[in-house]
Amino acid sequence: MLQYVTLTIDGAKVRAPKGTSVLDAAVQYGICIPHLCHTPDLSDIGACRLCIVEHVKNGQSAITASCTLLVKEGMVIRANSDRVRKLRRNVAELLLTEAPNSRAIQDIALRCGVKEPRYPFRNNDCVLCGRCVRTCAELYRAHAIGFVGRGKDRHVEFPFDVRPDFCLLCRACILVCPMSIPPCDGPWKPGEERFCGKCESQLQVPQYEDGDCFWCDLGRNFGCTRYR
Amino acid sequence: MPKINAIAELMALQERLRTGRANGGTILTVCGGTGCQANRSGAVIDALRAELERQGLSDSVTLRITGCQGFCEQGPIMVIDPSNVFYCHIEPEDVGEIVSRSVRGDEVIDRLLYTDPATGKKVQTEAEISFYRAQDRVLLSQNRQIDPCAIEDYFAIGGYSALAKVFTEHDPETVIAEVSASGLRGRGGGGFPTGRKWADCRTAPGDEKYVICNADEGDPGAYMDRSVLEGNPHAVLEGMAIGSWAVGAEQGYVYVRKEYPLAVDHTRKAITQAREYGLLGENILGSGFNFDVDVARGGGAFICGESTALMASIEGKVGEPRPKDVHTVEDGLWHRPTTLNNVETWANVPSIINNGAAWFAAKGTKDSKGTKIFALTGQVRNTGLVEVAMGTPLRKIIFDIGGGAANGRGIKAVQTGGPSGGCLPADLFDLSVDFETLKEAGSMVGSGGMVVMDEKTCMVDVAKYFLAFLLDESCGKCVPCRIGIDRMLEIVTDISEGRGRPEQIPLLEELAETVQETSLCALGKTAPNPVISTLRYFREEYMMHITEKRCPAGVCRELIEYVIDEERCTGCGVCMRACPYGAISGAKKEPHVIDPLVCKKCGICWDGCAFEAITVHSGGVPCYST
Repeated sequence: MLQYVTLTIDGAKVRAPKGTSVLDAAVQYGICIPHLCHTPDLSDIGACRLCIVEHVKNGQSAITASCTLLVKEGMVIRANSDRVRKLRRNVAELLLTEAPNSRAIQDIALRCGVKEPRYPFRNNDCVLCGRCVRTCAELYRAHAIGFVGRGKDRHVEFPFDVRPDFCLLCRACILVCPMSIPPCDGPWKPGEERFCGKCESQLQVPQYEDGDCFWCDLGRNFGCTRYR
Repeated sequence: MPKINAIAELMALQERLRTGRANGGTILTVCGGTGCQANRSGAVIDALRAELERQGLSDSVTLRITGCQGFCEQGPIMVIDPSNVFYCHIEPEDVGEIVSRSVRGDEVIDRLLYTDPATGKKVQTEAEISFYRAQDRVLLSQNRQIDPCAIEDYFAIGGYSALAKVFTEHDPETVIAEVSASGLRGRGGGGFPTGRKWADCRTAPGDEKYVICNADEGDPGAYMDRSVLEGNPHAVLEGMAIGSWAVGAEQGYVYVRKEYPLAVDHTRKAITQAREYGLLGENILGSGFNFDVDVARGGGAFICGESTALMASIEGKVGEPRPKDVHTVEDGLWHRPTTLNNVETWANVPSIINNGAAWFAAKGTKDSKGTKIFALTGQVRNTGLVEVAMGTPLRKIIFDIGGGAANGRGIKAVQTGGPSGGCLPADLFDLSVDFETLKEAGSMVGSGGMVVMDEKTCMVDVAKYFLAFLLDESCGKCVPCRIGIDRMLEIVTDISEGRGRPEQIPLLEELAETVQETSLCALGKTAPNPVISTLRYFREEYMMHITEKRCPAGVCRELIEYVIDEERCTGCGVCMRACPYGAISGAKKEPHVIDPLVCKKCGICWDGCAFEAITVHSGGVPCYST
C-alpha cells in the first residue's frame, strides 16, 4: 500500500506518495515549477537547475533542485520566492543565450522573467539536458547514445562516434529533444539570434503576480490543473 | 613474515624493533619524496648506497629513504643522526665527501649547510631553521622517522598500537565519542566534523558498509595528501581500520589519482605488508574484526575528488557527481552507507586514539582543532609543506615559516583553499587560519593549498586562471557550472583584454551568486569564490582594467607595452637578437626602440636585458614589475 507524506509547498499543504520528487508532487497539485531536463517516466539527473526551490530546514533555507529532492513528512518548500525567481531567471538566461534556437527554451526564458539577455548569444544545438540519452537507455534499453567528454567538451554521441547496430533509428531521442522545435521564424543562423517575445501576447498572465502561476508549456504537457 | 595474532605479540615486536633502532648507530635520512626526486634525490640515494658499499659501511650505517619531509625548496635534503646535522641541496657528486667526512668522521661540511636568509649564517640542525622551528609537526615529523616501504619502521614508532588500543579499551561508540570529542574536522575542504560523520554512518541502516580514503588531490599547488600517503601510508591504513571498526565496515578503498605513482606504489606496498602481518584481513589481532583495503586508481579528473563522483568512479561509472539530498553516509558506494574521509583526516586518527581527544583538542581554536598541513607555494622564499596548529595567523605562516617574498617584491595576496578558495589581501594577514575565519573572509581552508602572490600578480589574471581551470575540470552536467563558469570567464577575459565595461561588474557578481547557489555539486558551488573574493578585495584593480585600460601589475598582455629607457640602454643589441618577432631595432651603441605594432609582449627582451633598460608600461604608467 502506498504511504503518503504531507509537505508544504508555497504555503499549501500537499499530500504525496513516499518516493515521489517534490517537483512531481508540485506539478500534481498545479504548482508550476519550470523544468527542462525532467521528463515523466525517466530518471532525474538535476542537470538544468530550472526546477530549483528553497528547502527550508531548521530556519535555514537551501537552494536545491526539486526533481531530485524526495518528499518527506513535514518538509517546507518555497517554490516561487523572490530568491528562487531571481536565480531561476538567471539560469534561464544562461540557457537562452547558449541555445536560443528553441521554442521551449525561449518560452521558458520568457516565463521565468528574462527581459533583456545580458550575454552575447551563442548558437549551440544542445543544452545537454540528457532527455535523449535517458530515453534511449531507460525507455528503450538501447544505450545507443551517451555523454562523451567533460566540461565544455561534453556532448551527446554514439559510442566511439559510430552508430551501433542497436540504434534502430527510432527517433525517440529527437521526439524528446527540446531543441527540435525552433522559434516561429527560426532557425536562426549565428548572428541572427534574438530573444523572441512574440508569445508574450498569447500569455494570459504576462507578468508574474503573487499567487499566479507562469502558465508554462510544460505545465500544459503534464496536465497541470490550470489548463483544464 | 610471521602473522601477528594477538596484541601482546604486536607489543613485543614493537619493543624489539624500538630497541634495535636505538642501538642502530649512524642513520642517514634522505628524502625520497616526489619533490626531492625531481631534484635528483634518486641519483643521490644510488650514489650514497654505492659509496657506503665501497667504504665498507653498509652494515654499520642505516640508510633510510623517507617520504616528503616538507622543506621541498631545499631538496634533496639529508639528516645525519645521531649528530643531527642537516644538509640541503645535495648533488650526487657531494656523496663521497659526505660519507668520508661526516659519516666516517665527525666533520660538518659547511658548504652543504642551510644558510639562514635573515642572518646569512650557516645553520647546523633542523631545530635552528626558522622554517621548521615555527611549525607544529605532528604528522610530518613521522615522515622523517620512517621508511614508508618498511612496516617495521612504523612499528618502531608505535605503529598500529592505536588499533590495538581500540580493541582492548574501546567499543565502536566510545571510539566515535573520542573522535567527536577531539573536534577533528574533515581535512579535505568541507570541514565536516568527522565524529558526526562516523556516528551517522554507524546508525545508518544497512549490513554492508564501506570506508573510503580520498586521495584524489587536484588543487593546483597542493600536495599534502600525496606527501602523507607517500611518506606514511600505514598511518592512513591504521586510521581507516579504526574508522571501519567504529562504523561497522569491512571493506575500505584508497582512491588515489594515477598521477601520483609513488603514492600508489607505497600504498600498495603498505597494504601488502599489513596483510602479511595480519593487520589487514580476517580476525585482525585476534579481535574477530575483519577489514581489508584496496587501491582504486583515479583517472585524473579533478571532479572525482567530489565524494559522489569518486564513488561513481570506484563503481566503474563515469565520474560525475549526483545530488546529495541523501548523504553518502546513508547512500554512498553501491548505495550502501559509506564514510569518506581525506588522507590527512584518516592519518590523524591513530594519534588521537593514542594520545586522547584532549591532547588533540588542546591545539587549535574553539571550533577548529588540531594541526593542519598546508602546501606553501608561489612567490615565497621557503616553499614546502607546513604543519601548524589551526588558528595560526597567515602572517606567521607566510613570513616566519615561509620567509617572506622570494624576490624582494612586496607580497600582495595569498590564495588559500585552491580553486575553490579565495584571495586574501596582505592587510588581512593577521587573520587566523581556521575554518570559520577564512570562510567569513570569503576564502576557505580547503584542502590546504596556499599560493603566495607578489605585486607582479594581476588579480584579474588570477581569477581568469582559476576560472579556466574549473571550466576545464567541470564535469559539464549542470547548467550553472558548465555555462555559468564559461560566461564568467568570458567577462573576466573581456576585462583583462581591455574590452570590459563597468556594467559587467554587477553582472559578474550576480552570475557568481547564481552559480554558487544553483550548482549541483561543491565544485560549482565554490567555483565563483576566486571571482567573488578578488572582486571583494581588489575591486579597484578590476576598475583600472575597465576604465583606464591599465593593468597595474603588468600582466595582462593586451593592456601593456614594453618600452626601452633611452638613458639606460647601451645599445648592446642583446634584446634585438633575442626578440623572436624582430620588433626591436636600433644602431650599435645607440638606444634601441621597440615597435609596438610588431611586439607580441612575450617579455624575452625584458628577461635578457642586463641594464634594466626595458620596462613594462600600462596605460602610459610604469608597472610594478619594473
